[in-house]
Amino acid sequence: MRVEMFTFLLAGAICLGGALGVVLLKNPVHNALSLVATLFGVAVLFVNQGAYFLAAIQVIVYAGAIVILFLFVIMLLGVDRETDEGREPLVAQRPLAVATGLAILGLSLVALLSAGQRATGDKADLAPLNQPGPDINHLAEVLFTRYVYAFEITAVLLTVAVVGAVVLSKRTNEPLIDLDEFPEGTVVDVRRRADDAKAQDEVDADAEVVAVPDTEGDPQEGGDD
Amino acid sequence: MTAAVLQNVLASVGGLPSIEFSSVAPSIILALGGVLLLTVVSVTKDKLPVWFPAVWTISAAVAALCTVFRLWIRVGKWGNLSLISGAVGLDRFSLFVIGTLCVSVVMGALLLEGYLRREDLEGPEWYVLLLLAAAGGTTMAAANDLIVLFIGLEILSIAVYILSAMHRRRMSSLESGLKYFIHGAFASAFLLYGIAMVYGATGSTNLARISTFLADNVITQNGLMLGGIALMLVGFAFKVAAVPFHQWAPDVYQGAPTPVSAFMAAAVKTAAFAGMIRVFVLALGPTYRDEWRPMVLALAVLSLLVGSVMALVQTNVKRMLAYSSIGHAGFILVAVHSSTAMGTSAALFYLLSYTFMVMGSFGVVAVVGRKGDGHHQLSDYRGLGRIRPGLALAFTIFLLAQAGVPLTAGFLSKFYVIRSAIDSGDTALGVVAMLAAVIAAFLYLRVIVAMYFEGEPGDEVAPVKVPAAVSVAIGIALAGTLLLGIVPDPVTHAANEATAELVAPRR
Amino acid sequence: MTAVWLIPALPLLGFVTLVVLGRKFGDPGAGIFAACMVGLSFLGTLGVFAHLLSLPHEERAISQTLFTWISSGSFKVSIGFLADPLSITMCLFITGIGALIHIYSVGYMKGDPKFSKFFVYLNLFVASMLLLVLGDNLLLTFLGWEGVGACSYLLISFWFTDPKNASAGKKAFVTNRVGDFGFMLATFLVWVTLGTVNYEQIRPLAPGLAAGTATAIALLFFLGATGKSAQLPLFVWLPDAMAGPTPVSALIHAATMVTAGVYLLTRLSPIMAEAGWANDVVAWVGALTALVAACAAIAQNDIKKVLAYSTVSQLGYMFLAVGTQSYVAAVFHMITHASFKALLFLGSGSVIHAMAHEQDMRKYGNLRKYLPITYATFMVGWLAIAGIPPLSGFWSKDEILAGVFNAKTFGNLALWVIGMAVALLTAFYMTRQVIMTFFGEEKWRHAEVDAHGHELHADEEDAVDDHDHHHLTPDHTPHESPISMTLPLVVLAGAAAVAGLLNLPFGDPLKFLEHWLEPTIVGEHELPPGWVQALLSLAAVAVAVIGILGARAVYFQKKVDPAKIEKPVFAHAWYIDETYAKFMGGPGETAFEDVAQFDQKIVDGAVNGIAGGTVGLGNRLKGLQTGLVRTYGLGMAIGAVALLAYVVTRIGG
Repeated sequence: MRVEMFTFLLAGAICLGGALGVVLLKNPVHNALSLVATLFGVAVLFVNQGAYFLAAIQVIVYAGAIVILFLFVIMLLGVDRETDEGREPLVAQRPLAVATGLAILGLSLVALLSAGQRATGDKADLAPLNQPGPDINHLAEVLFTRYVYAFEITAVLLTVAVVGAVVLSKRTNEPLIDLDEFPEGTVVDVRRRADDAKAQDEVDADAEVVAVPDTEGDPQEGGDD
Repeated sequence: MTAAVLQNVLASVGGLPSIEFSSVAPSIILALGGVLLLTVVSVTKDKLPVWFPAVWTISAAVAALCTVFRLWIRVGKWGNLSLISGAVGLDRFSLFVIGTLCVSVVMGALLLEGYLRREDLEGPEWYVLLLLAAAGGTTMAAANDLIVLFIGLEILSIAVYILSAMHRRRMSSLESGLKYFIHGAFASAFLLYGIAMVYGATGSTNLARISTFLADNVITQNGLMLGGIALMLVGFAFKVAAVPFHQWAPDVYQGAPTPVSAFMAAAVKTAAFAGMIRVFVLALGPTYRDEWRPMVLALAVLSLLVGSVMALVQTNVKRMLAYSSIGHAGFILVAVHSSTAMGTSAALFYLLSYTFMVMGSFGVVAVVGRKGDGHHQLSDYRGLGRIRPGLALAFTIFLLAQAGVPLTAGFLSKFYVIRSAIDSGDTALGVVAMLAAVIAAFLYLRVIVAMYFEGEPGDEVAPVKVPAAVSVAIGIALAGTLLLGIVPDPVTHAANEATAELVAPRR
Repeated sequence: MTAVWLIPALPLLGFVTLVVLGRKFGDPGAGIFAACMVGLSFLGTLGVFAHLLSLPHEERAISQTLFTWISSGSFKVSIGFLADPLSITMCLFITGIGALIHIYSVGYMKGDPKFSKFFVYLNLFVASMLLLVLGDNLLLTFLGWEGVGACSYLLISFWFTDPKNASAGKKAFVTNRVGDFGFMLATFLVWVTLGTVNYEQIRPLAPGLAAGTATAIALLFFLGATGKSAQLPLFVWLPDAMAGPTPVSALIHAATMVTAGVYLLTRLSPIMAEAGWANDVVAWVGALTALVAACAAIAQNDIKKVLAYSTVSQLGYMFLAVGTQSYVAAVFHMITHASFKALLFLGSGSVIHAMAHEQDMRKYGNLRKYLPITYATFMVGWLAIAGIPPLSGFWSKDEILAGVFNAKTFGNLALWVIGMAVALLTAFYMTRQVIMTFFGEEKWRHAEVDAHGHELHADEEDAVDDHDHHHLTPDHTPHESPISMTLPLVVLAGAAAVAGLLNLPFGDPLKFLEHWLEPTIVGEHELPPGWVQALLSLAAVAVAVIGILGARAVYFQKKVDPAKIEKPVFAHAWYIDETYAKFMGGPGETAFEDVAQFDQKIVDGAVNGIAGGTVGLGNRLKGLQTGLVRTYGLGMAIGAVALLAYVVTRIGG
């Protein structure tokens, strides 16, 4: 009992510490690593509950695969520099956000703790999971009987996600058409990139013109296009 | 594992569930339609005519609609059923909603067809996502289990997040998709947290079991249950864009490609309300209505007033429609708030009417947006009555319907909603709803002024072209809006029959 | 002959046909077609009228249900028409005067670029108005009510392409929405308490209403009526509505639509009978409106504005009659007023037409020489409205005043005094108008008319912008209008002269209208004994003559400086409009925009939790970069906190 309690506290601390790290650290790489800590803590909590299979999956899939993927992306896109979050133009935003966050936490705690020892009103549907035997079997039972429909439609969800990922990550060279709807001083990065692209195009166009000196007419004319 | 062990396992869970595929036929047809379309298109690259995906999508939606009619009759014979281990509820309520969703897919596909051609965008993925989104919506509508409901919601939402961002050349489309995604994820987290708390309190995610448990037991320490209810309400209120969870809506509606805004307004709202009614009215209605009704009341009143007032001061027509959709959400919340069979059928009638009205409105907006989808200011409607009298007249009718003028669908839907409020003794709420309707009437005034009284001949920014597919969609919407307003009886009848019921799963 | 539905269907058919083919019919084809449709509808009404007459007294009501519109549970509403003496009376003058005004418009609108569109709206208006009066339930009446409102709004703004000038239309829309809200709430109350909105079903149920409920219903319907019929406090839109073409002013803003409120309350006389002090409110509001508007009318210089305020004032009379339960007198005055006011408006239209669209009476004078037919018919209208026997206005006004004198209404004698004062003012301002227009010197001959003596109202200058701009030059020679315009004038003059025959006070058999309407109206009122009535009539005639002579002294013989009478407070209609505008935070049209601004800043600012936040494109886009996303997220979180806080208070409960 005391060991379980000790493990719970330790794992809980790791989870919370990791979560705070995700939110507060400035370097994206550090954020991602903090997330690993949180997920690891959750895995330990699963072990503590005797859900070994879930613990293993937690480590392999989330900590192992997903966060590592995050790290790849962060490093490949080269956004692994510190972001400046020091300035906050909206005066009341941060204090209000902190207060609201605390209020949600506090009120949820009140709701949860008011239930005391009898938080769960009924024997859970997942009672089979608590039977002796390898938990992977029990999990499979529940998944393929009671939750079989949910399990199957998750496939549709994944399909949507894949289609979306492919569609949105397709590169396009076409220029943005609504930049002038945005007022001066906004979307600076995008504008700069658009200008760069235009300049590049012009350079390319000039290069083409230079490369084909045989064409009739004044090459300068073509360059103006 | 030996066969004997398997036998043991099966015996312990009461046998493998039978999966009655026919009962979820609409969802299957829509989802399969989406996946097959993806396959067909990728195999026969560039050999299919441009109209192919749209026709495919419409066929799938119509096929799904046909199965809805078949199932409607079947339910009439056999009564309401709970199928696939109690995950799916087959009743006329879910069928009505599924039918409504199919209608919005048909019109959405028609609008997309014209839109994608005009904007030179490549097509099939749009339709794939449209079909998959609808499959998610139908799943929600028939969900008898909170997990199924949540997954359905996510399928629908993620598909629509992507659709919002899919006009690659419009920065505001990307912005819209991103904003919708971030806020939507935030709201989903609330919903999931709420589901977890309800599960904790009742020991089940199955709506029928939750309902039975709550009926048989009084939870003395109800903090967990109540917390769960509040958080689930946050999640649903976000999806239907109810005040104060609405701020995303104007930005997202404005930025998203216009046919997607249409689909968002019609289908997402329909599915989310269906889920909300299943959870709140059916599962929690008998036992916890006193707890959730005041919250829904507050959301309804705020949505009605903020939606109507804010719609008036917009100069961007898409934003205007977004705010008016918030007001409409307020009306439907009034029906949900009554928590009666009458309220449910009022909500259903409203959702179908709203699907026609809003699809038609956005159809006109999509056309007037012209190439580039950027002409959505009120000033872009100047002189529309002169250059496109038919289009202007259609838009006027849609706006009149939204304002609730008699002989349009909008009047009756508002009427039924107010009636359900009165019936459950909330006269004051009915009066607020009427006040909101009066305020909202100014909406059409502003657009009519722009269309008929402003602008000189020849000062149009660009000609307005109405593609054939879009005019078909607007025609369908117009027919629906007027028919529901003039001869509403068949639909009213169906909506009255479409009461939902939670049937406990066989076990 | 029970094809009641044909009556509104014919103008509707005209509307649909003209929408499709209007341009092809062209000028004047479209106008003639539209006039024919209304004319046919008039014939249909005559047919139904004859049929009703052939029925026994108590059975004179044809109820015709086309189909069930809404059925939910025990509550049913059908698309159905009720042709009874009241509705058919209304239909007769709506279609009759409507047809004449259509004919007149063919001449008046000749050459207008939007000729066919004008008749599209006009036909739609007639159809809606007929639906309003023929509908057998409150919802259909409401539909017609909204329809006529929309047409009125469209026609007021007919000549305006500049959005700034559409403000008159907007004002009509806004004030009418306030009234509509009253109508909706009242319908709603009727439905909640009686379970039906059908007139024939309301009738037997109404006596069972609690007095408080009936009063509330009556007051809310009256609120609706004050909007549509331009009574205090919502009358401000009607004078501005004169910005529309003159036939529109005659048809919609004088003869038909504005009487809808009177019709409504008459139709609901079973409820009014139970409504107690609501009737006093109606009578007093009517009387005060009549007085306020009559005062305003004496100081207007725009020929149409005089008539507009006069209309408001006469409508006040009708409500005074309704409030004192003299429904027959109200309907009687409605009919006579429809004929003589339509006549006066069309006459003024003829004058405006002849004077190159100049509406300022200070530039008229001696027109009787140039416009003999207009002059002669205008004289009939003038004497009728002034209350000179035996012309129609005298009889109906007399009946109202006699009813008031003997009514049990709170302060009935004071009401009677006000009524007499209004009669005097009416005679005065109408005489003033006639003298300024048809007598005296030809003032447009002077190069510059001195406009400084009178302060021109800002809106008045808008109204002067009627139609396209020709300038009235000193060498202008007015010409009489074409036959299509003078013919309706002559017919209407005939009607205005003899309409009094409908209900003569000389003994029971001569009260045709009263017997005719009897089955439809609930409400008792007693007229004073014969000799009192005779004295009252004499007094009324005396007052009218004093008014006429007074105006003659001021404007013809110039014994008194007009400025002493035409106080600015009258010219500005007691500054009521200005007060509204100020109250809203800005003058005229901007008031509405300001309210909107307020909502935008306060409501949105509060919701977003940003002090002084402004929405709109700029902010939205700022959000793209710095991420208003988090502000929205914060808004959602605050909402979640509110809901959680609420449920926490319910824990254990």
